[in-house]
Amino acid sequence: MTEKYGIIASFPDTPSFFHAAEKVRDAGYKKWDTYSSFPVHGMPEAQGQARSKVPVFTFLGGITGFTVGLLMVWWMNAYDYPLIIRGQPFFSPVFPFPIMYELTILLAAFGTLGGMFITNLLPQHYSPLFNSDQFLEVSGDRLVIAIEARDGQYDVVATRQFLEEIGGTDIEEVSA
Amino acid sequence: MSSDTINSKGSQVGLIALVVGIVGIVIALFGFKQGWDTGEVRPIMSWLIALGFWLSIAIGMLFLVQIWYVFHARWPTIIRRQCEHFMAAFPYLLVLFLPLLAIPFLHENPGLLWKWMDGHNELPGHGTVAEDPLYAWKSPFLNIQFFAIRAIGIFAVFIGVATLLRKWSFDMDTTGNINNMHNARRLSSLGLFLTAIAMTLGSIDWFKSLEYHWFSTMYGVWFFAACMRAALASIIILTVVLAYKGYLKGILKQAHRYDIACMMLAFTVFWAYISFSQYFLIYSANIPEETFWYNIREKNFDGGLNSWWWVSMGLIFGHFLTPFLLLLWYKTKVVIWRTVGVSIWILSFHLLDLYWNIIPGKLVAPDHGAGYLVRQFSVSIYDLAALVGIGGICIFAMCRSMKKAEPIPIRDPNILTSINYTE
Repeated sequence: MTEKYGIIASFPDTPSFFHAAEKVRDAGYKKWDTYSSFPVHGMPEAQGQARSKVPVFTFLGGITGFTVGLLMVWWMNAYDYPLIIRGQPFFSPVFPFPIMYELTILLAAFGTLGGMFITNLLPQHYSPLFNSDQFLEVSGDRLVIAIEARDGQYDVVATRQFLEEIGGTDIEEVSA
Repeated sequence: MSSDTINSKGSQVGLIALVVGIVGIVIALFGFKQGWDTGEVRPIMSWLIALGFWLSIAIGMLFLVQIWYVFHARWPTIIRRQCEHFMAAFPYLLVLFLPLLAIPFLHENPGLLWKWMDGHNELPGHGTVAEDPLYAWKSPFLNIQFFAIRAIGIFAVFIGVATLLRKWSFDMDTTGNINNMHNARRLSSLGLFLTAIAMTLGSIDWFKSLEYHWFSTMYGVWFFAACMRAALASIIILTVVLAYKGYLKGILKQAHRYDIACMMLAFTVFWAYISFSQYFLIYSANIPEETFWYNIREKNFDGGLNSWWWVSMGLIFGHFLTPFLLLLWYKTKVVIWRTVGVSIWILSFHLLDLYWNIIPGKLVAPDHGAGYLVRQFSVSIYDLAALVGIGGICIFAMCRSMKKAEPIPIRDPNILTSINYTE
Protein backbone atom coordinates (compact mmCIF):
# COMPACT_ATOMS: atom_id res chain seq x y z
CA MET A 1 0.00 0.00 0.00
CA THR A 2 1.36 3.41 -0.96
CA GLU A 3 1.84 6.04 1.70
CA LYS A 4 -0.97 8.56 2.04
CA TYR A 5 -0.67 12.32 2.37
CA GLY A 6 -4.10 12.81 3.90
CA ILE A 7 -7.81 13.12 3.25
CA ILE A 8 -9.54 15.94 1.44
CA ALA A 9 -13.22 16.84 1.54
CA SER A 10 -15.13 19.41 -0.49
CA PHE A 11 -17.86 21.74 0.73
CA PRO A 12 -20.76 23.12 -1.29
CA ASP A 13 -20.74 26.76 -0.13
CA THR A 14 -18.71 29.23 1.91
CA PRO A 15 -20.80 29.16 5.14
CA SER A 16 -20.66 25.34 5.42
CA PHE A 17 -16.96 25.49 4.51
CA PHE A 18 -16.38 28.08 7.24
CA HIS A 19 -18.32 26.23 9.93
CA ALA A 20 -16.72 22.92 8.97
CA ALA A 21 -13.33 24.54 9.56
CA GLU A 22 -14.48 25.58 13.04
CA LYS A 23 -15.52 21.97 13.74
CA VAL A 24 -12.16 20.59 12.57
CA ARG A 25 -10.47 23.11 14.85
CA ASP A 26 -12.69 22.12 17.79
CA ALA A 27 -12.08 18.41 17.12
CA GLY A 28 -8.43 19.11 17.96
CA TYR A 29 -6.73 18.51 14.59
CA LYS A 30 -3.45 20.40 14.14
CA LYS A 31 -1.99 19.46 10.74
CA TRP A 32 -4.70 20.56 8.37
CA ASP A 33 -5.60 23.45 6.12
CA THR A 34 -8.39 25.05 4.12
CA TYR A 35 -8.13 25.80 0.40
CA SER A 36 -10.22 28.23 -1.62
CA SER A 37 -9.65 30.46 -4.62
CA PHE A 38 -10.71 33.58 -2.70
CA PRO A 39 -10.04 34.84 0.82
CA VAL A 40 -12.69 33.98 3.41
CA HIS A 41 -12.89 36.64 6.15
CA GLY A 42 -12.38 35.27 9.63
CA MET A 43 -10.91 32.00 8.35
CA PRO A 44 -7.65 32.27 10.32
CA GLU A 45 -9.72 32.49 13.53
CA ALA A 46 -12.00 29.67 12.37
CA GLN A 47 -8.91 27.56 11.81
CA GLY A 48 -7.62 28.48 15.24
CA GLN A 49 -4.40 29.94 13.86
CA ALA A 50 -2.23 32.08 16.09
CA ARG A 51 -1.26 35.54 14.83
CA SER A 52 1.42 35.64 12.19
CA LYS A 53 5.06 35.64 13.33
CA VAL A 54 6.13 37.92 10.47
CA PRO A 55 6.09 41.12 12.61
CA VAL A 56 8.87 39.62 14.74
CA PHE A 57 11.08 39.30 11.64
CA THR A 58 10.16 42.86 10.63
CA PHE A 59 11.07 44.21 14.06
CA LEU A 60 14.38 42.33 14.21
CA GLY A 61 15.23 43.53 10.69
CA GLY A 62 14.45 47.12 11.70
CA ILE A 63 16.56 46.96 14.87
CA THR A 64 19.45 45.46 12.87
CA GLY A 65 19.20 48.21 10.25
CA PHE A 66 19.16 50.95 12.89
CA THR A 67 22.22 49.53 14.65
CA VAL A 68 24.13 48.92 11.44
CA GLY A 69 23.45 52.48 10.24
CA LEU A 70 24.61 53.92 13.57
CA LEU A 71 27.80 51.83 13.67
CA MET A 72 28.55 52.41 9.99
CA VAL A 73 28.45 56.21 10.28
CA TRP A 74 30.39 56.15 13.54
CA TRP A 75 33.07 53.88 12.01
CA MET A 76 33.41 55.90 8.81
CA ASN A 77 33.11 59.46 10.17
CA ALA A 78 34.53 59.23 13.66
CA TYR A 79 36.90 56.26 13.70
CA ASP A 80 38.31 55.17 10.35
CA TYR A 81 38.61 58.55 8.64
CA PRO A 82 37.50 61.42 10.91
CA LEU A 83 36.15 64.37 8.93
CA ILE A 84 35.45 67.87 10.17
CA ILE A 85 32.18 69.00 8.60
CA ARG A 86 30.76 72.47 9.42
CA GLY A 87 32.75 72.39 12.65
CA GLN A 88 30.27 69.94 14.11
CA PRO A 89 31.14 66.83 16.13
CA PHE A 90 32.64 63.79 14.36
CA PHE A 91 29.77 61.77 15.60
CA SER A 92 26.36 62.64 16.98
CA PRO A 93 23.05 60.81 16.72
CA VAL A 94 21.59 63.77 14.83
CA PHE A 95 23.22 64.05 11.41
CA PRO A 96 23.41 60.33 10.51
CA PHE A 97 19.76 59.87 11.42
CA PRO A 98 18.53 59.71 7.79
CA ILE A 99 20.98 56.84 7.21
CA MET A 100 19.91 55.00 10.35
CA TYR A 101 16.32 55.58 9.41
CA GLU A 102 16.70 54.43 5.80
CA LEU A 103 18.54 51.28 6.82
CA THR A 104 15.85 50.60 9.43
CA ILE A 105 13.20 50.69 6.72
CA LEU A 106 15.27 48.70 4.22
CA LEU A 107 16.18 45.88 6.58
CA ALA A 108 12.68 45.87 8.09
CA ALA A 109 11.35 45.31 4.58
CA PHE A 110 13.90 42.54 3.97
CA GLY A 111 12.96 41.02 7.33
CA THR A 112 9.29 41.08 6.36
CA LEU A 113 9.95 39.46 2.99
CA GLY A 114 12.26 36.81 4.47
CA GLY A 115 9.93 36.20 7.38
CA MET A 116 7.02 35.70 5.00
CA PHE A 117 9.04 33.10 3.05
CA ILE A 118 10.19 31.32 6.20
CA THR A 119 6.80 31.20 7.95
CA ASN A 120 5.03 30.11 4.74
CA LEU A 121 7.69 27.42 4.09
CA LEU A 122 8.41 28.93 0.67
CA PRO A 123 9.60 28.23 -1.95
CA GLN A 124 7.53 25.08 -2.30
CA HIS A 125 7.18 23.90 -5.88
CA TYR A 126 5.35 20.67 -5.18
CA SER A 127 2.56 19.50 -2.92
CA PRO A 128 1.16 15.93 -2.86
CA LEU A 129 -2.30 17.51 -2.97
CA PHE A 130 -1.72 18.11 -6.69
CA ASN A 131 -2.07 14.32 -7.13
CA SER A 132 -5.80 14.79 -6.73
CA ASP A 133 -7.72 15.96 -9.79
CA GLN A 134 -10.49 17.20 -7.53
CA PHE A 135 -8.04 19.37 -5.64
CA LEU A 136 -6.96 21.11 -8.85
CA GLU A 137 -10.49 22.51 -9.07
CA VAL A 138 -9.76 24.66 -6.00
CA SER A 139 -8.43 27.28 -8.39
CA GLY A 140 -11.97 27.30 -9.82
CA ASP A 141 -14.86 27.08 -7.40
CA ARG A 142 -14.08 24.13 -5.14
CA LEU A 143 -13.72 24.65 -1.38
CA VAL A 144 -11.51 22.00 0.23
CA ILE A 145 -10.42 21.03 3.70
CA ALA A 146 -7.40 18.70 3.85
CA ILE A 147 -6.42 16.81 7.00
CA GLU A 148 -2.89 15.45 6.77
CA ALA A 149 -1.78 11.95 7.73
CA ARG A 150 0.99 13.30 9.95
CA ASP A 151 -1.60 14.72 12.34
CA GLY A 152 -1.54 12.80 15.64
CA GLN A 153 -5.30 12.31 15.59
CA TYR A 154 -5.35 11.04 12.01
CA ASP A 155 -7.09 7.73 11.41
CA VAL A 156 -8.17 6.66 7.92
CA VAL A 157 -11.62 5.45 8.94
CA ALA A 158 -12.43 7.87 11.77
CA THR A 159 -11.20 11.00 9.97
CA ARG A 160 -13.16 10.09 6.84
CA GLN A 161 -16.26 9.59 8.95
CA PHE A 162 -15.65 12.89 10.76
CA LEU A 163 -15.39 14.79 7.48
CA GLU A 164 -18.63 13.23 6.33
CA GLU A 165 -20.34 14.22 9.58
CA ILE A 166 -19.38 17.88 9.21
CA GLY A 167 -20.85 18.01 5.74
CA GLY A 168 -17.93 17.15 3.47
CA THR A 169 -18.55 15.60 0.06
CA ASP A 170 -16.30 14.00 -2.58
CA ILE A 171 -14.04 12.65 0.18
CA GLU A 172 -10.82 11.32 -1.21
CA GLU A 173 -7.57 9.91 0.15
CA VAL A 174 -4.58 11.57 -1.48
CA SER A 175 -1.38 9.60 -1.96
CA ALA A 176 1.91 11.14 -0.94
CA MET B 1 -31.42 52.63 25.91
CA SER B 2 -34.03 55.18 24.93
CA SER B 3 -32.99 58.55 23.68
CA ASP B 4 -34.56 60.21 26.76
CA THR B 5 -32.18 58.45 29.15
CA ILE B 6 -29.27 59.34 26.89
CA ASN B 7 -30.34 62.96 26.90
CA SER B 8 -30.80 63.17 30.66
CA LYS B 9 -27.42 61.51 31.24
CA GLY B 10 -25.84 63.80 28.66
CA SER B 11 -27.29 66.90 30.26
CA GLN B 12 -26.07 65.79 33.71
CA VAL B 13 -22.53 65.38 32.42
CA GLY B 14 -22.84 68.64 30.51
CA LEU B 15 -24.05 70.50 33.60
CA ILE B 16 -21.21 69.13 35.74
CA ALA B 17 -18.72 70.04 33.01
CA LEU B 18 -20.17 73.56 32.82
CA VAL B 19 -19.89 74.12 36.58
CA VAL B 20 -16.36 72.68 36.76
CA GLY B 21 -15.42 74.66 33.67
CA ILE B 22 -16.66 77.97 35.09
CA VAL B 23 -14.83 77.36 38.38
CA GLY B 24 -11.61 76.57 36.48
CA ILE B 25 -11.98 79.61 34.27
CA VAL B 26 -12.60 81.92 37.23
CA ILE B 27 -9.39 80.68 38.90
CA ALA B 28 -7.43 80.88 35.64
CA LEU B 29 -8.76 84.38 34.93
CA PHE B 30 -7.69 85.41 38.42
CA GLY B 31 -4.16 84.35 37.45
CA PHE B 32 -4.59 86.10 34.10
CA LYS B 33 -5.54 89.31 35.92
CA GLN B 34 -2.46 89.03 38.14
CA GLY B 35 -0.28 88.58 35.06
CA TRP B 36 -2.03 91.57 33.50
CA ASP B 37 -1.40 93.78 36.55
CA THR B 38 2.13 92.72 37.43
CA GLY B 39 3.50 92.11 33.94
CA GLU B 40 4.67 88.61 34.99
CA VAL B 41 3.41 86.70 31.99
CA ARG B 42 3.51 83.07 33.15
CA PRO B 43 -0.19 82.79 34.19
CA ILE B 44 -1.17 84.25 30.81
CA MET B 45 0.88 81.51 29.16
CA SER B 46 -1.16 78.97 31.16
CA TRP B 47 -4.20 80.28 29.35
CA LEU B 48 -2.46 80.08 25.97
CA ILE B 49 -1.29 76.50 26.62
CA ALA B 50 -4.73 75.33 27.73
CA LEU B 51 -6.41 77.05 24.80
CA GLY B 52 -3.87 75.51 22.43
CA PHE B 53 -4.47 72.07 23.92
CA TRP B 54 -8.24 72.05 23.49
CA LEU B 55 -8.11 73.91 20.21
CA SER B 56 -5.69 71.33 18.80
CA ILE B 57 -8.12 68.51 19.59
CA ALA B 58 -10.99 70.33 17.89
CA ILE B 59 -8.85 71.25 14.85
CA GLY B 60 -7.64 67.66 14.50
CA MET B 61 -11.23 66.41 14.55
CA LEU B 62 -12.22 69.04 11.97
CA PHE B 63 -9.43 67.75 9.73
CA LEU B 64 -10.41 64.11 10.23
CA VAL B 65 -14.08 64.68 9.46
CA GLN B 66 -13.21 66.50 6.22
CA ILE B 67 -10.64 63.86 5.23
CA TRP B 68 -13.26 61.16 5.78
CA TYR B 69 -15.74 63.04 3.63
CA VAL B 70 -13.24 63.67 0.83
CA PHE B 71 -12.12 60.04 0.71
CA HIS B 72 -15.69 58.82 1.11
CA ALA B 73 -14.58 56.72 4.07
CA ARG B 74 -17.31 54.34 5.17
CA TRP B 75 -15.97 52.80 8.37
CA PRO B 76 -15.70 55.95 10.54
CA THR B 77 -19.32 57.06 10.05
CA ILE B 78 -20.27 56.30 13.68
CA ILE B 79 -17.12 58.07 14.93
CA ARG B 80 -17.66 61.08 12.66
CA ARG B 81 -20.78 62.01 14.58
CA GLN B 82 -18.86 62.17 17.88
CA CYS B 83 -16.29 64.46 16.25
CA GLU B 84 -19.10 66.66 14.95
CA HIS B 85 -20.37 66.99 18.52
CA PHE B 86 -16.95 68.03 19.79
CA MET B 87 -16.60 70.57 16.98
CA ALA B 88 -19.43 72.49 18.65
CA ALA B 89 -16.69 73.84 20.95
CA PHE B 90 -15.22 76.22 18.33
CA PRO B 91 -17.47 79.25 19.06
CA TYR B 92 -16.74 78.86 22.78
CA LEU B 93 -13.01 78.66 22.05
CA LEU B 94 -13.29 81.94 20.13
CA VAL B 95 -14.82 83.60 23.20
CA LEU B 96 -12.08 82.08 25.37
CA PHE B 97 -9.47 83.47 22.94
CA LEU B 98 -10.72 87.04 23.43
CA PRO B 99 -8.78 87.67 26.70
CA LEU B 100 -5.56 87.03 24.76
CA LEU B 101 -6.70 89.28 21.91
CA ALA B 102 -7.45 92.01 24.44
CA ILE B 103 -3.78 92.31 25.45
CA PRO B 104 -2.54 94.25 22.37
CA PHE B 105 -5.55 96.59 22.46
CA LEU B 106 -6.21 97.21 26.14
CA HIS B 107 -2.96 96.62 28.03
CA GLU B 108 -0.47 99.45 28.58
CA ASN B 109 2.24 97.14 27.19
CA PRO B 110 0.67 95.64 24.04
CA GLY B 111 3.61 93.24 23.85
CA LEU B 112 2.96 91.69 27.24
CA LEU B 113 2.60 88.19 25.77
CA TRP B 114 3.75 88.58 22.14
CA LYS B 115 6.62 90.97 22.66
CA TRP B 116 6.86 92.19 19.05
CA MET B 117 3.55 93.99 19.61
CA ASP B 118 5.33 96.78 21.46
CA GLY B 119 8.36 98.48 19.89
CA HIS B 120 9.63 99.56 23.34
CA ASN B 121 10.13 95.98 24.53
CA GLU B 122 13.77 95.17 25.13
CA LEU B 123 15.52 92.22 23.56
CA PRO B 124 18.33 90.92 25.77
CA GLY B 125 21.54 92.18 24.19
CA HIS B 126 19.86 93.54 21.03
CA GLY B 127 18.27 96.85 22.00
CA THR B 128 14.53 97.19 21.51
CA VAL B 129 12.04 95.60 19.14
CA ALA B 130 11.66 98.85 17.17
CA GLU B 131 15.40 98.95 16.48
CA ASP B 132 15.49 95.34 15.38
CA PRO B 133 16.08 94.95 11.60
CA LEU B 134 14.51 91.48 11.66
CA TYR B 135 11.33 92.94 13.10
CA ALA B 136 11.38 95.69 10.50
CA TRP B 137 11.42 93.05 7.78
CA LYS B 138 8.68 91.01 9.38
CA SER B 139 6.48 93.95 10.42
CA PRO B 140 4.21 93.90 7.32
CA PHE B 141 2.99 90.54 8.61
CA LEU B 142 3.60 90.92 12.33
CA ASN B 143 1.57 93.98 13.25
CA ILE B 144 -1.32 94.20 15.66
CA GLN B 145 -4.04 95.08 13.16
CA PHE B 146 -3.19 92.25 10.78
CA PHE B 147 -2.78 89.89 13.74
CA ALA B 148 -6.32 90.67 14.92
CA ILE B 149 -7.74 90.34 11.40
CA ARG B 150 -6.01 86.97 11.01
CA ALA B 151 -7.24 85.73 14.37
CA ILE B 152 -10.83 86.56 13.40
CA GLY B 153 -10.34 84.99 9.96
CA ILE B 154 -8.86 81.82 11.45
CA PHE B 155 -11.78 81.36 13.82
CA ALA B 156 -14.22 82.26 11.06
CA VAL B 157 -12.87 79.34 9.00
CA PHE B 158 -13.01 76.88 11.91
CA ILE B 159 -16.47 77.95 13.03
CA GLY B 160 -17.85 78.30 9.51
CA VAL B 161 -16.70 74.92 8.22
CA ALA B 162 -17.63 73.12 11.46
CA THR B 163 -21.08 74.71 11.60
CA LEU B 164 -21.93 73.83 8.01
CA LEU B 165 -20.69 70.24 8.32
CA ARG B 166 -22.67 69.80 11.56
CA LYS B 167 -25.79 71.33 10.08
CA TRP B 168 -25.78 69.08 7.00
CA SER B 169 -24.95 65.95 8.95
CA PHE B 170 -27.74 66.59 11.49
CA ASP B 171 -30.20 67.50 8.74
CA MET B 172 -29.49 64.12 7.12
CA ASP B 173 -30.90 62.40 10.25
CA THR B 174 -34.33 63.93 9.81
CA THR B 175 -34.77 64.51 6.10
CA GLY B 176 -32.52 61.83 4.62
CA ASN B 177 -31.76 64.28 1.82
CA ILE B 178 -28.67 62.96 0.03
CA ASN B 179 -27.72 66.49 -1.07
CA ASN B 180 -26.47 67.01 2.48
CA MET B 181 -23.74 64.44 1.83
CA HIS B 182 -22.84 65.96 -1.52
CA ASN B 183 -22.65 69.43 0.04
CA ALA B 184 -20.49 68.18 2.88
CA ARG B 185 -18.14 66.49 0.47
CA ARG B 186 -17.86 69.55 -1.75
CA LEU B 187 -17.24 71.84 1.19
CA SER B 188 -14.63 69.45 2.62
CA SER B 189 -12.52 69.48 -0.51
CA LEU B 190 -12.25 73.27 -0.25
CA GLY B 191 -12.44 73.31 3.55
CA LEU B 192 -9.34 71.15 3.93
CA PHE B 193 -7.29 73.89 2.26
CA LEU B 194 -8.95 76.62 4.32
CA THR B 195 -8.51 74.69 7.57
CA ALA B 196 -4.87 73.94 6.75
CA ILE B 197 -4.11 77.60 6.02
CA ALA B 198 -6.00 78.78 9.10
CA MET B 199 -4.26 76.23 11.34
CA THR B 200 -0.83 77.16 9.96
CA LEU B 201 -1.44 80.88 10.46
CA GLY B 202 -2.77 80.19 13.95
CA SER B 203 0.28 78.21 15.00
CA ILE B 204 2.61 80.86 13.60
CA ASP B 205 0.74 83.78 15.18
CA TRP B 206 0.01 82.36 18.60
CA PHE B 207 2.95 80.04 19.33
CA LYS B 208 5.80 80.67 16.94
CA SER B 209 5.68 84.48 17.07
CA LEU B 210 6.46 84.33 20.80
CA GLU B 211 10.03 84.16 19.44
CA TYR B 212 9.53 86.18 16.28
CA HIS B 213 13.26 86.08 15.41
CA TRP B 214 13.02 82.44 14.52
CA PHE B 215 12.54 80.89 11.08
CA SER B 216 11.03 77.49 10.45
CA THR B 217 8.91 76.37 7.54
CA MET B 218 8.06 73.16 9.42
CA TYR B 219 6.13 74.84 12.19
CA GLY B 220 2.66 74.64 10.67
CA VAL B 221 3.14 70.99 9.82
CA TRP B 222 4.36 70.33 13.34
CA PHE B 223 1.13 71.78 14.69
CA PHE B 224 -0.89 69.76 12.18
CA ALA B 225 0.78 66.55 13.36
CA ALA B 226 0.21 67.55 16.98
CA CYS B 227 -3.48 68.30 16.28
CA MET B 228 -4.01 64.95 14.59
CA ARG B 229 -2.37 63.02 17.43
CA ALA B 230 -4.39 64.90 20.03
CA ALA B 231 -7.62 64.36 18.11
CA LEU B 232 -7.05 60.63 17.52
CA ALA B 233 -6.15 60.00 21.17
CA SER B 234 -9.23 61.97 22.27
CA ILE B 235 -11.44 60.03 19.85
CA ILE B 236 -10.29 56.74 21.41
CA ILE B 237 -11.02 57.98 24.93
CA LEU B 238 -14.33 59.59 23.96
CA THR B 239 -15.69 56.62 22.00
CA VAL B 240 -14.57 54.05 24.58
CA VAL B 241 -16.32 56.04 27.33
CA LEU B 242 -19.44 56.26 25.16
CA ALA B 243 -19.25 52.52 24.41
CA TYR B 244 -18.80 51.68 28.09
CA LYS B 245 -21.53 53.79 29.63
CA GLY B 246 -23.34 55.46 26.80
CA TYR B 247 -24.94 54.99 23.47
CA LEU B 248 -22.08 53.45 21.51
CA LYS B 249 -22.41 50.23 23.52
CA GLY B 250 -22.38 47.33 21.07
CA ILE B 251 -21.85 49.71 18.14
CA LEU B 252 -18.19 50.58 18.56
CA LYS B 253 -16.31 47.50 17.35
CA GLN B 254 -12.77 46.33 17.84
CA ALA B 255 -12.19 47.14 14.16
CA HIS B 256 -13.01 50.84 14.70
CA ARG B 257 -10.61 51.12 17.63
CA TYR B 258 -7.98 49.18 15.71
CA ASP B 259 -8.12 51.54 12.73
CA ILE B 260 -8.00 54.69 14.86
CA ALA B 261 -5.03 53.18 16.75
CA CYS B 262 -3.29 52.46 13.43
CA MET B 263 -3.70 56.11 12.54
CA MET B 264 -2.29 57.00 15.97
CA LEU B 265 0.80 54.96 15.09
CA ALA B 266 1.07 56.66 11.70
CA PHE B 267 0.79 60.14 13.16
CA THR B 268 3.23 59.29 15.96
CA VAL B 269 5.79 58.59 13.25
CA PHE B 270 4.68 61.67 11.31
CA TRP B 271 5.06 63.92 14.37
CA ALA B 272 8.55 62.52 14.98
CA TYR B 273 9.45 62.94 11.32
CA ILE B 274 8.35 66.60 11.28
CA SER B 275 9.84 67.50 14.64
CA PHE B 276 13.12 65.81 13.81
CA SER B 277 13.31 67.32 10.31
CA GLN B 278 12.90 70.78 11.83
CA TYR B 279 15.73 70.07 14.26
CA PHE B 280 17.89 68.32 11.67
CA LEU B 281 17.74 71.14 9.09
CA ILE B 282 18.52 73.78 11.70
CA TYR B 283 21.36 71.64 13.12
CA SER B 284 22.85 71.14 9.65
CA ALA B 285 22.59 74.78 8.55
CA ASN B 286 23.96 75.97 11.91
CA ILE B 287 22.80 79.60 11.55
CA PRO B 288 22.50 81.55 14.83
CA GLU B 289 19.13 83.11 13.89
CA GLU B 290 17.70 79.60 13.89
CA THR B 291 19.79 77.59 16.33
CA PHE B 292 19.06 79.89 19.30
CA TRP B 293 15.53 78.46 19.44
CA TYR B 294 16.90 75.03 20.23
CA ASN B 295 19.77 76.43 22.32
CA ILE B 296 17.43 78.00 24.86
CA ARG B 297 15.60 74.67 25.04
CA GLU B 298 18.82 72.95 26.03
CA LYS B 299 21.20 75.34 27.75
CA ASN B 300 21.32 78.43 29.91
CA PHE B 301 23.34 81.44 28.84
CA ASP B 302 26.32 80.12 30.85
CA GLY B 303 26.26 76.85 28.87
CA GLY B 304 24.88 74.62 31.60
CA LEU B 305 21.98 72.28 30.84
CA ASN B 306 18.62 73.66 31.89
CA SER B 307 15.29 72.06 32.71
CA TRP B 308 14.22 72.11 29.06
CA TRP B 309 16.93 69.60 28.18
CA TRP B 310 15.11 67.05 30.30
CA VAL B 311 11.79 68.00 28.75
CA SER B 312 13.33 67.61 25.28
CA MET B 313 14.59 64.13 26.14
CA GLY B 314 11.16 63.40 27.60
CA LEU B 315 9.59 64.35 24.29
CA ILE B 316 11.94 62.18 22.23
CA PHE B 317 11.52 59.10 24.39
CA GLY B 318 8.06 59.74 25.82
CA HIS B 319 6.22 61.41 22.97
CA PHE B 320 7.80 59.36 20.19
CA LEU B 321 9.69 56.20 21.15
CA THR B 322 7.38 54.80 23.84
CA PRO B 323 4.07 55.18 21.99
CA PHE B 324 5.77 54.11 18.75
CA LEU B 325 7.04 50.83 20.20
CA LEU B 326 3.79 50.21 22.11
CA LEU B 327 1.61 50.88 19.07
CA LEU B 328 3.64 48.48 16.94
CA TRP B 329 2.03 45.70 18.98
CA TYR B 330 -1.24 44.37 17.64
CA LYS B 331 -2.46 43.87 21.23
CA THR B 332 -2.04 47.57 22.03
CA LYS B 333 -4.39 48.40 19.19
CA VAL B 334 -7.17 45.97 20.19
CA VAL B 335 -7.08 45.53 23.99
CA ILE B 336 -9.24 48.42 25.22
CA TRP B 337 -7.32 49.42 28.35
CA ARG B 338 -4.01 49.37 26.51
CA THR B 339 -5.31 51.59 23.68
CA VAL B 340 -6.85 53.99 26.19
CA GLY B 341 -3.62 53.98 28.22
CA VAL B 342 -1.52 54.90 25.17
CA SER B 343 -4.08 57.61 24.27
CA ILE B 344 -3.84 59.20 27.72
CA TRP B 345 -0.05 58.95 27.49
CA ILE B 346 -0.01 60.69 24.10
CA LEU B 347 -2.36 63.45 25.28
CA SER B 348 -0.16 64.10 28.34
CA PHE B 349 2.97 64.38 26.22
CA HIS B 350 1.11 66.50 23.68
CA LEU B 351 0.52 68.93 26.54
CA LEU B 352 4.22 68.77 27.44
CA ASP B 353 5.04 69.44 23.79
CA LEU B 354 2.94 72.64 23.98
CA TYR B 355 4.76 73.68 27.18
CA TRP B 356 8.06 73.07 25.40
CA ASN B 357 7.01 75.19 22.43
CA ILE B 358 5.39 78.05 24.34
CA ILE B 359 7.05 78.73 27.68
CA PRO B 360 10.77 79.22 26.87
CA GLY B 361 9.80 81.62 24.08
CA LYS B 362 10.04 84.81 26.08
CA LEU B 363 13.60 85.49 27.16
CA VAL B 364 14.04 87.90 30.01
CA ALA B 365 17.08 90.08 30.64
CA PRO B 366 18.90 89.40 33.92
CA ASP B 367 19.05 92.04 36.66
CA HIS B 368 22.76 92.51 36.09
CA GLY B 369 25.38 91.17 33.71
CA ALA B 370 25.16 90.12 30.10
CA GLY B 371 23.01 87.52 28.37
CA TYR B 372 19.48 86.36 29.06
CA LEU B 373 17.50 84.20 31.43
CA VAL B 374 15.56 81.27 30.04
CA ARG B 375 12.13 80.85 31.55
CA GLN B 376 12.38 77.40 33.10
CA PHE B 377 9.90 74.57 32.98
CA SER B 378 7.27 74.80 35.70
CA VAL B 379 3.73 73.68 36.33
CA SER B 380 1.44 76.12 38.10
CA ILE B 381 -2.01 75.90 39.59
CA TYR B 382 -3.19 78.25 36.84
CA ASP B 383 -2.11 75.73 34.18
CA LEU B 384 -4.38 73.17 35.79
CA ALA B 385 -7.22 75.66 36.28
CA ALA B 386 -7.08 76.84 32.67
CA LEU B 387 -6.91 73.27 31.34
CA VAL B 388 -9.85 72.09 33.42
CA GLY B 389 -11.76 75.32 32.82
CA ILE B 390 -11.46 75.46 29.05
CA GLY B 391 -11.88 71.66 28.86
CA GLY B 392 -15.04 71.85 30.94
CA ILE B 393 -16.53 74.38 28.55
CA CYS B 394 -15.57 72.21 25.54
CA ILE B 395 -17.20 69.14 27.10
CA PHE B 396 -20.26 71.20 27.99
CA ALA B 397 -20.48 72.31 24.35
CA MET B 398 -20.16 68.69 23.21
CA CYS B 399 -22.87 67.40 25.59
CA ARG B 400 -25.14 70.26 24.56
CA SER B 401 -24.67 69.26 20.92
CA MET B 402 -25.32 65.59 21.73
CA LYS B 403 -28.86 66.45 22.76
CA LYS B 404 -29.57 68.00 19.37
CA ALA B 405 -28.91 65.00 17.13
CA GLU B 406 -29.08 61.24 16.94
CA PRO B 407 -26.20 59.32 18.62
CA ILE B 408 -25.09 58.02 15.22
CA PRO B 409 -25.98 59.32 11.74
CA ILE B 410 -28.87 56.88 11.25
CA ARG B 411 -29.71 57.87 7.68
CA ASP B 412 -26.18 58.17 6.38
CA PRO B 413 -25.80 55.86 3.35
CA ASN B 414 -22.66 54.36 4.91
CA ILE B 415 -24.04 53.70 8.36
CA LEU B 416 -24.54 49.95 7.86
CA THR B 417 -21.01 49.48 6.53
CA SER B 418 -19.72 51.32 9.56
CA ILE B 419 -21.80 49.34 12.07
CA ASN B 420 -20.86 45.99 10.51
CA TYR B 421 -17.24 46.95 10.04
CA THR B 422 -14.63 44.21 10.56
CA GLU B 423 -10.86 44.26 10.29
